Amino acid sequence: MLNRAQSAHLIRESFAGFHRRKLTTGVTILIMGSALLVLAILTLATLNMGHMLESARAGIDMRVFLNDGLGPERMAALQPRLLAIPGVQKVAWISPETALGQFKEGLGEDAEIVDLLDANPLPASYHLTMTPGARNQESVEKVREEIAVWEEVSEILFNQGWIDALESWTFRFRMASLVVGLIVFVAAVFVISNTVKLTMASSARIIQIQKLVGATNAFIRTPYLCEGMIQGLLAGILAMGLLAAAGYVLNDRLGGLVFFTGGQIAGFILFCVVLGLTGSYSAMRKYLTMQSEI
Amino acid sequence: MKYPNTRSDKLSEGPLDSRTVIGFYHVDLAYDDQKAVDNVSFTVPNGEFLCLTGPSGAGKSSILRLIAMDAFPTKGEVMVRGMLSSKMSRRKVPRLRREIGFVFQDFRLLEDRSVEDNISFVQLVVGIPRAQIVTNNMRVLTQVGLYDKRHRLPRQLSGGEQQRVAIARAMVNSPKILLADEPTGNLDPVTAQEIIDLLFRINDSGTSVIFSTHDHGIVKSFGQRVIVMNDGRITSDEKRRVPVDRSVSLADRMYRATGRKDIVNA
Repeated sequence: MLNRAQSAHLIRESFAGFHRRKLTTGVTILIMGSALLVLAILTLATLNMGHMLESARAGIDMRVFLNDGLGPERMAALQPRLLAIPGVQKVAWISPETALGQFKEGLGEDAEIVDLLDANPLPASYHLTMTPGARNQESVEKVREEIAVWEEVSEILFNQGWIDALESWTFRFRMASLVVGLIVFVAAVFVISNTVKLTMASSARIIQIQKLVGATNAFIRTPYLCEGMIQGLLAGILAMGLLAAAGYVLNDRLGGLVFFTGGQIAGFILFCVVLGLTGSYSAMRKYLTMQSEI
Repeated sequence: MKYPNTRSDKLSEGPLDSRTVIGFYHVDLAYDDQKAVDNVSFTVPNGEFLCLTGPSGAGKSSILRLIAMDAFPTKGEVMVRGMLSSKMSRRKVPRLRREIGFVFQDFRLLEDRSVEDNISFVQLVVGIPRAQIVTNNMRVLTQVGLYDKRHRLPRQLSGGEQQRVAIARAMVNSPKILLADEPTGNLDPVTAQEIIDLLFRINDSGTSVIFSTHDHGIVKSFGQRVIVMNDGRITSDEKRRVPVDRSVSLADRMYRATGRKDIVNA
């Protein structure tokens, strides 16, 4: 159990390194911050790409065209049946009149051609929106197979090509994120660990002397671990601050850029603190197991 | 004197003589295949001033490392304050070190901390309360004549002053043993003699002092026990009968130690 003088000493020593080794500590925080900034940029890019892909997936829908001659009651009865299918989130009824209006709208200046028709040739249909979890090729195919056998249904349309492309891009993006993320993460940990080791090297002699006069490893280690955590915290804040500033500037040009939520920022900074702590711990081990060189 | 031959020879029951603070029993120490200490046996009773001498590489520093349990015997047993090297775990080493004071040729001060902080640190390690630390600092720094310079950094002091800080640090916790490894090696003869005098004063207060040096001039001025080492072995262990005459002037003792009048007259 530490007495008051010892506790005060450990707290003071945790911050004293910043004063005693201004340049080394400053450079360490800068290098750590840069490595973490690269990691944060990649994470943010992944987040934004993921967001874009998710938005694109929202466009995955299905049109179920009905046979002519179905009475209103039969057509209305289809709605709950469609909603009951797993993966279907929303069902919208599109009457032949509405469909014609949409068609005319789509024709733009040529819409007058439609007025030449004697009768509305467009069938009634249902527009299905998929649940977020079912916005993929496999789920859409399942829904299609289930509906296709219904006798009220004449045709089912969905954007097959779009889904195929989206599936392919999502896979490539996930693979690329994983590989690049892993490389950047390992590089960041390597850079941080080596930077902390350099700081430790400058303290090696002091650690040896502390051991010599009977300080326990815990007593020697604690201020350095705290210092590592504070360095990680400052580097994390630096990285996040730079990213936020860049995001603020770029948001006007790019628009709709997704930034980290408060929870994600806190998580990232906590990760930086843990990184600083583990970096210091692994660097300390080497010096604490060294002999005193009497 | 006959030393026990193996670890089973009653050593686990404690020192053979209750006055023994350090015991080496047929100790070997090898670094890789190189023997640094070869079958060394001796004991140091409480309060003795022992001078360890020999040429560079004779094994003096290895003996000090073994006492500090910074190295462990490859054969034999070392006993320090009742603690046996064979039963010493790394966790217990700090506890032993707190009972030993260290003084080195290169001072080994915490360069980025003031004189006072250097002295305070060893007291914080053992958990001495703040108020007591302040009192102790005043006492030891006054004894070594550096109280006025307590706020200075080591680099702002002369070599002799830095060594006195190291001695103050070594004695502040009233250690039972003081290890001095070539403490006068970087000092001019007059300052060296001052440091030796300080070590004698510490010894007078009951602390056993192990003084390692390769300087024959200094050894000659000693009136105490001298162990001479060569190639890791003890070649002589001589206890001088005539105690050193502390009444002799410093100048005379310097002349006797160095044979140089220019230093004495300077």
